[in-house]
Amino acid sequence: MKDIKAKLTEKIKASFDTVSEKDYNGNRLDFHVDVKIIPQILTFLKVNLGYIHLSHISCVDWLEEGEFEIIYILWSPVEKLKVFVRTRINREKPVLPNIDMIWRQANTYEREMREMFGIEIEGLEGAEEFLLEDWQEMPPMRRDFQTEEYAEKTFWSREGREDAIDVREEIIKRSREEIPDFAKKYSR
Amino acid sequence: MINDKNSQKIVDIIQNWARKHSIWVLAYGTGCGAIEIPPTMTSRYDAERLGVRGAATPRQADVLLVTGYLTTKTLKRVIRVYEQMQDPKFVIGFGSCTINGGMYYDSYNTIKLLDKYLPVDVYINGCMPRPEAVLAGFGKLQEIIAEGRANGAQKYKDNLEWYKANQKKIIPSLLTTDYNW
Ligand code: SF4
Repeated sequence: MKDIKAKLTEKIKASFDTVSEKDYNGNRLDFHVDVKIIPQILTFLKVNLGYIHLSHISCVDWLEEGEFEIIYILWSPVEKLKVFVRTRINREKPVLPNIDMIWRQANTYEREMREMFGIEIEGLEGAEEFLLEDWQEMPPMRRDFQTEEYAEKTFWSREGREDAIDVREEIIKRSREEIPDFAKKYSR
Repeated sequence: MINDKNSQKIVDIIQNWARKHSIWVLAYGTGCGAIEIPPTMTSRYDAERLGVRGAATPRQADVLLVTGYLTTKTLKRVIRVYEQMQDPKFVIGFGSCTINGGMYYDSYNTIKLLDKYLPVDVYINGCMPRPEAVLAGFGKLQEIIAEGRANGAQKYKDNLEWYKANQKKIIPSLLTTDYNW
């Protein structure tokens, strides 16, 4: 596995300059790349290196840093290696190159990303209403979208739920575990 | 022809008794709760001995079983389905999601109170209700049908405007037909 990774890194670095890699245990290897070379590097991986399978495209909202991170997860059935191609784009004006001519199924992911995060995909086919119907608010998967508030004002609440207690306090008392700091923020 | 009150009453009693023993449920699963329907209907719990059976299309069904959370998108279809059903028709809200939102209480895309959009005759609580609970729910429905209290469809007709306004609030593009019930 080590030499496969080393060889792959070498090949990628020989063809592209603005690439940094990060190694993980097991069959995973990450590349951080610039958004401009996304179509090129994905084509290169698919056509020349045998990473023919696009497992997933995922998007992470780094609200504090003002960026979206897009992650393309590829798989090679020959080398049995997962390659994560990561890129970051500006959160204010998110624009991403279209890759659905490389993998046709990427179209579905891109349409979903467009709708859920409000990322504009250049030249996307079918850039219209997809999963959400009649949506008028900001894209719902952005972290600054106040889901609970929205649900409250749109769908009403059944009376009698206001005094629902936070059961986590009790669970912690019994199991003597700590609530992680990040989770405290969300406690009711 | 029956035109005096007392004989109408007798006819109603007979009608309701017959309806009670022949409940056709529309096979339309919406949330995770739909997975409890196969065991309820098949040999283990055998709902058919109570006269509860599956129907293939809305026009042949008496009961709309809303089995769990409804996204706004599904709600649109469910309303369509409900309006296609013929009288007498009843709605059973199944699982806590239909009652108060359940574990999806803070979701941006699922409704919380089903009875704001459709007239619910019986609620079955639980997340998800076991087949025993489902059968108990059907039993309750039969009870209120026999007593002539299952008048959700009438309620819907009488308060059509209120229901439509609620539905339109979350589905602006809802195509509403003019009904002349
Ligand atoms: S009540 Fe529970 S089982 Fe039923 S749809 Fe909601 S979450 Fe699923």
